[in-house]
Parts: sequence; C-alpha cells; structure tokens
Amino acid sequence: MSLYISWVSPTPSYELRLATARLVHRFNFGPTPGQYENLLAHGLAAAQSAVLVHGRDDPGIDTVKSLVLGDLGPFPEGNRAKSNAFWRRIAKDSSDLVMWWLDRMVAARYPLTERMTWFWHGHWATSISGVTYPLAMKKQNSTLRNLALGNFEDMAREMVVDGALNVWLNNNENYVQAPNENLAREFMELMTLGVNHYTQNDVAAAALALTGYSTDQSNGRVTFNPKEHFSVPLGILGATGVFDAQSLAKLVVSKNDNVQFITDRLWFRFVSGSTAAPPTLAKSFASRDISSLVNALVHSSAWTDPANTLVKSPVEWFVGACRALKVRPSTLDAGDTQWLLSQMGQVPFNPPNVGGWTYGTAWLSGVNYQYRFQLAQNIVAKGNLAPLDVQPLDMLQACANWLGVPAWSRRTANALTLSLATPSELALAAILSPEYMVSP
Amino acid sequence: MINCEFDRRSFLKWTGASIVAAMTAPLSFESLARAATTTPLPAKTPILVLVTLYGGNDGLNTVVPFTDPVYKSVRSNIALSSNQVLPFSGSLGFNAAMPSMRELFARRKVAIVQGVSYPNPNLSHFTSMAIWQTASLTGATSGWIGRWLDQQPHSPFNAIGVGSTLPPAFVGDKTVASMVDVSGVQLPWGPVATVLPRLGDASPSDATLEAAAATSITDLFATAKRVGAHIPKSPSGSYIAQQLSVVSALINADVPTRVWEVNLSSFDTHTGEVGDQNALLGEVDAAIGAFMTSISAGRRANDVTVMVYSEFGRRVGSNASDGTDHGTSAPVFLIGNRVKGGLYGEQPSLKHLDENGNLRVTTDFRSVYGGLLHDVLATPVGDVIPSWHKALSVH
Repeated sequence: MSLYISWVSPTPSYELRLATARLVHRFNFGPTPGQYENLLAHGLAAAQSAVLVHGRDDPGIDTVKSLVLGDLGPFPEGNRAKSNAFWRRIAKDSSDLVMWWLDRMVAARYPLTERMTWFWHGHWATSISGVTYPLAMKKQNSTLRNLALGNFEDMAREMVVDGALNVWLNNNENYVQAPNENLAREFMELMTLGVNHYTQNDVAAAALALTGYSTDQSNGRVTFNPKEHFSVPLGILGATGVFDAQSLAKLVVSKNDNVQFITDRLWFRFVSGSTAAPPTLAKSFASRDISSLVNALVHSSAWTDPANTLVKSPVEWFVGACRALKVRPSTLDAGDTQWLLSQMGQVPFNPPNVGGWTYGTAWLSGVNYQYRFQLAQNIVAKGNLAPLDVQPLDMLQACANWLGVPAWSRRTANALTLSLATPSELALAAILSPEYMVSP
Repeated sequence: MINCEFDRRSFLKWTGASIVAAMTAPLSFESLARAATTTPLPAKTPILVLVTLYGGNDGLNTVVPFTDPVYKSVRSNIALSSNQVLPFSGSLGFNAAMPSMRELFARRKVAIVQGVSYPNPNLSHFTSMAIWQTASLTGATSGWIGRWLDQQPHSPFNAIGVGSTLPPAFVGDKTVASMVDVSGVQLPWGPVATVLPRLGDASPSDATLEAAAATSITDLFATAKRVGAHIPKSPSGSYIAQQLSVVSALINADVPTRVWEVNLSSFDTHTGEVGDQNALLGEVDAAIGAFMTSISAGRRANDVTVMVYSEFGRRVGSNASDGTDHGTSAPVFLIGNRVKGGLYGEQPSLKHLDENGNLRVTTDFRSVYGGLLHDVLATPVGDVIPSWHKALSVH
C-alpha cells in the first residue's frame, strides 16, 4: 500500500504517527490540542504509558458538575397533570444524564476510565428504553466506572444483580414456577462466555438460579427474597449445587471460555474487526484482571499493522472532535445534539438491543454522513480553532497534528487545500474527511 | 470457516457487519448521479422489499392455530380466543390486529410459508439474525443481498435500506448498499458544501474502511440528486409506515433499485406479549396495506414482492410473565400482486416438539430465498448461497 505522506514531515516515521494516533484515539477518545505532537516527540513507549494513566484525580473531570438525580418513584396513575410532570422530569433527567457523560468523556485529562466505561456500557448493553428511569441507569454507569479496569469476576457479580440490567432483561418476571430465561441467556451468550459455550439446559438452570431477585425500578435497588429463590441443587456448565446470582456469576466467569471471549471482545472493539487476537493475548486475562488485558493490548505489536483500521462509532467521532476543538457537549443544544446522534444511530444509555451497537461499515452510510455534517457544523461553530493559526503552507500539517491524523491522502489534501483561507471551513472538512471518520 | 456452528469468532465478525473491500472502479458522484438519472429502472423489472422484524416475532400469535386445544392449554395466559382472530381456514387465522393481511390473503396476494427456520435452530437473537441475514450457517461475513450486489454492475442504487445504519444483509464482500432516511435527504450547506464531494473521491492510498467512508460521502450526494426530491416531505403514521411510504414513493418514481429493506424492532416479547405484539403487528399490517395500495395504483403494480420475516418464532408454552421465551420456526409472508397466494409448507405440530419445547422446522429459509433469487432477482441460487439449490417458488 502506498501512503501519501508528503503533507507531513518525514520524521517521525509514519509507523510512529500511525501507532500513536491509534493509541490516543482508541483508548483516550482522541488528542487534545498539542497532545499528539507532544506524544510523538516522546516516542511510542511514552505514548503507551500516557494512554494507560488512570485511577488518579482528574482535574478535567473535576470541572464537570456532578449530576444528582432524584428517585421519581412509581409511575403516576390517573392524574393527568401529575403524569405529564412525571414524564417531563424523566425526559429532562435522561437528557441531563447523556450530556453529563458526554461532558466527562470530553473533559477527562486521563480518559481511559471513561473510555473503558463506554466499552463496558456497550458490552452490558442496557437501554433506558426498557429501564425508563435515569437514576437506575446512572447507578449502573457508576458500577461500570468503578470496575472498568478492575477484576471481571467482581464486575460480573455486581452486574448480574444490577437493577437496570435486571429490569431490561426481565429478571423481575423470573419465577420458580415459570422461569424467564432472558437474563440467564444473555448473561452467558453476550456478557461472559459467548454463544454456543453453554447448552439450553444450562440456560434453563441458570434462569432458576436467578429467581428471587426483585428490582425497584425507580432507583435500581435489588433485593433478594430467599423464599422466592429456587434453592434446590442445579446442574450448570458441569457443576452441581444450589446456585444464587453470585455463585452463578463466579462459576461462569471461572470457565476458560470466559478468558478468550472477553479478550476477543476487547480486541474487536479496540484493535480490529478483521484480524484475530494473537493466541497469547488471552494469557494476560487469565486472572480476570481487566487492566492487565488492557495493558497487554496497548503494548501489543498490533498498532503498526496496516490491517488494523477501525471505524469510529458516532459517539467516539463526536467526542474526539469535541476534545480537539475544546467544545463541552453541554454547551451545545442538548436536544439537537441527541437527535443528531440518534439519527446516526448511537446515543449513550440507549443501545438498540442487548447485543450493543453495530460496528464498522454499518456506520458509513450516506444518511449517516448527512447528520455527521450537521453535528460537525455545530461543533465547529463553538470550536476553538487556534491550532490552525499558522502560515497557510503549514496549515495541513498543523491540522493533521491537531486532530491526530497520521497522514492525509492526496485526495483529502487536495480538497482541504480549497479551504485554507477559512480555518472554520478547513476544520469542518477535516473532521468530515475519511481519515478522521475512521481510525486509519 | 470449516466448523459448521456459527462460532464466537464469526459472530464477532458478523456484528461488525463485515469488512468491505474498496470499490473497484472509482466513480465520481457526478457520473453516478448522471448515470442514475438517465437510467430509470426498466419497466417490468421485479423488485424485492424486505421487512425485517427484529426481536423474534411470535409466529403462533401471528398466524394463530386458534382451534388447536394444545395452543390454548400451553399458553393459556396469552392464547388468542376466536374473537381475537381473523380466521381464514377451519384451524388457522390472522391475529385480529392484521385486517389488511387478511384481506390481501383473501385476494390471494399473500403466500404464507409455514414453519420456516434453519437446521438445529440456535435460540440466540444474534446468531439467528446473522444466519438469516448472511444466509449462511457457517459464519459468512457478507450478507445475502450483499453477495448479490457484488455481482451487479456497480451503482449506489441497486439496493437501498431505509434508516441510517446498514442491515448486515446489505453488506457484500466488495460493495455495500445505500441508505435513505424517512426525514429526507438534506445536503450539506455553506461554503464547504462544494469541498465535501471531493472528499468522497477514491484515493489509491485508502485502506478498506477509508474507502468505505469516502463512498458514504459520494452516496449522500448521489442519493440526494437522484431520490431526494421523491421522498415524501412529512410521511405520516408509525415508523414502519413512514419507511414503507418512502419506499413506495421511490419505487413509483422509477428509482433504479431492485432491493429495499425496512425494519421494526421490539418483537422480543418476554413479558406482556399480547398488548405489545398486537400493537406492533397492527403497525406492520397498516403499513403493508397502505404500501400495497400505493404500489397497486402505480406503474410497478405487478413488479413488487414483499417478504416479512423475523429471526425466530417463540416458545410454544408461555411463561409466567404473560410472554414467551425464544423459539424456533415461524411463518414468513410473501406479498405481491404477482404472488400466488395461499399456504406453503407444513404447519409444525404443537404436540411433537423438539427437546426444548420448540416447534420443529418444516421449511428451510434458504429455500424461500432461493425462490426470491430465482423469481425476483433472476439470479441462480448457488451464486448467492453457495451449495444451496432449492427454491420454493410462490410466483
């Protein structure tokens, strides 16, 4: 493959530019102004360490006002005025919740925790369309954030009794007399083991193990009632015993299939949809320590392989552009922003189904581009374009470095050249270029 | 893939909607739009419209065996009584939410293919939908319509989906379908509007996904030019009705498109099934009724075939939450003025179930596709579904 790189200086090497761009876009939602050049100056090892920083006070996150949501109680009945007020409040809280999380992604100085929380949200894909109450969604979001780089067994044990997930997958209607299999099946298929690594008998038995839990939907609180629980020995995945949600999660996560499944899921979302994870990668997840797996991914040799391109999902593209242009999402019109994201197919807290969001070329339709343009227009209108304040001859390279693009193709360089006179046009065209829509 | 199960890796690949190779012939959007404008779909060209019901539609409460005592006893909390059914034979009737289908069936414009699924059904939404959309049991990464697209002379109009994210069925190994949206096409405005089309040009340095990103830009400008003016300004009705009204308007405007796709979600009725499913089926029914009325009044009255399908039917016995868990086979509807209406295949027994309490499979879905490929898309079945040759013809 011939890559047209005459629009960027020959040093540092294209490989370093590519690897660094991939790391900062995929693990940190993209560079802030100046960050890409700074990382390039310090070499790959420094970039690998930089994107892994997490778990310390984040002065960026500190600038996002904390969001406190109230318990709105049961659905109001009868009284129309009361009911209207209730649904307006649900809508307001839901919108605030989305903008609050987008703000955190954009504001973070050490974005790995938010980025991993975003990954896990797609993995344990729970939608407010089924849960209704933003408070329960926020509670789940905190759980995922607290354990985003923790131990996966802890995460599975917490999530199997997460209120929002239990409502979403009908565990509130799972009774000993007539089990509802929804949570049991998706827990094994999509969240822990992968399809075909269990039998229908395992699903039926796991559903019984998950009886006796009831969720207060308005706040996501789950209570266990031993009298409603199936406390007779069950055979699940070759083990026999009396299981509850905790011991079920422990058993399932202890299976070898869990190691490869989670490793593959991270590889698929962070590295490549077309190449397979190297066979040794799963070893880093043997202890179920998520940070060890992420660390191994970041230090893998995948980053210079030209095959490992990815399409940025709409939220990843949007957050990346906001970080570069220093635009806080909450300063944009909240309704408009969420409508455009939903037209592009991705609003946080609202995945289309329990399988999570789509991937790759599915995001690349003409219709998607129509809304991408409108969102880009709104970002650029509020954006800080100072990084383009350079001599015209230097503008294309400055733009690539600003946005963390390894190289412009001749096609894109020619098109962007038409906009050199107007920085806002150049910025708009650049974030709408193929090289920025994907992570090359 | 050599294993015969849809395994984890192919599942992962499939959820990625596959990887599409770069376009072989770099075409500018102007030339594409010009070609399309000057080449309307030739008269009498058959057209296929896919209606995908996501979530697993309960076939037994859609085409209802309302006189079968087993039906009443194993799902007593959700069984429809005779006054909730529109009978079309002594033993079967449409859900009463479907009066348009009942009427079209009476006029012999609806083929009901019974007991449709694939061998050894997997109860996973995602595996099942992957199998239906790829027409492969072994983990193909391309969709069945995508493979058909790969064999056509390239045009962004060969297949069009309604919405913004591509259905996996429409992703080929070399090319993908275009999309239009019920909100209509709005081109970028302002000074940058003349720059953006250039970002859609092919570039020799593009990797596969960059090429696909560039194509999405080209497709927006091309579809705007060709179809934008024909999209109804403010389509009314449910979302599925809006989608189908866009399709009928574009078909009647001679857009050179052979395959369309619309879809509706939320058929995963684990709880409170009767109210939810009736509402959804009512929307689908009204939308199809209006679509057929619109098509029948136009020049393409005899050219259009609609297929309505879901990834699986649901468990025969209901659960205690007045819903049903995941199941297997279900009826597929084929609708059109040229369709020979009636019942096809065999209604699976409610007594002789598989080991999980599910209906047995009496028709392989690939035979239904085979009939559509042969009768509608004039393509040898094996060219799209390797090593499959059966075709259930309803034309």
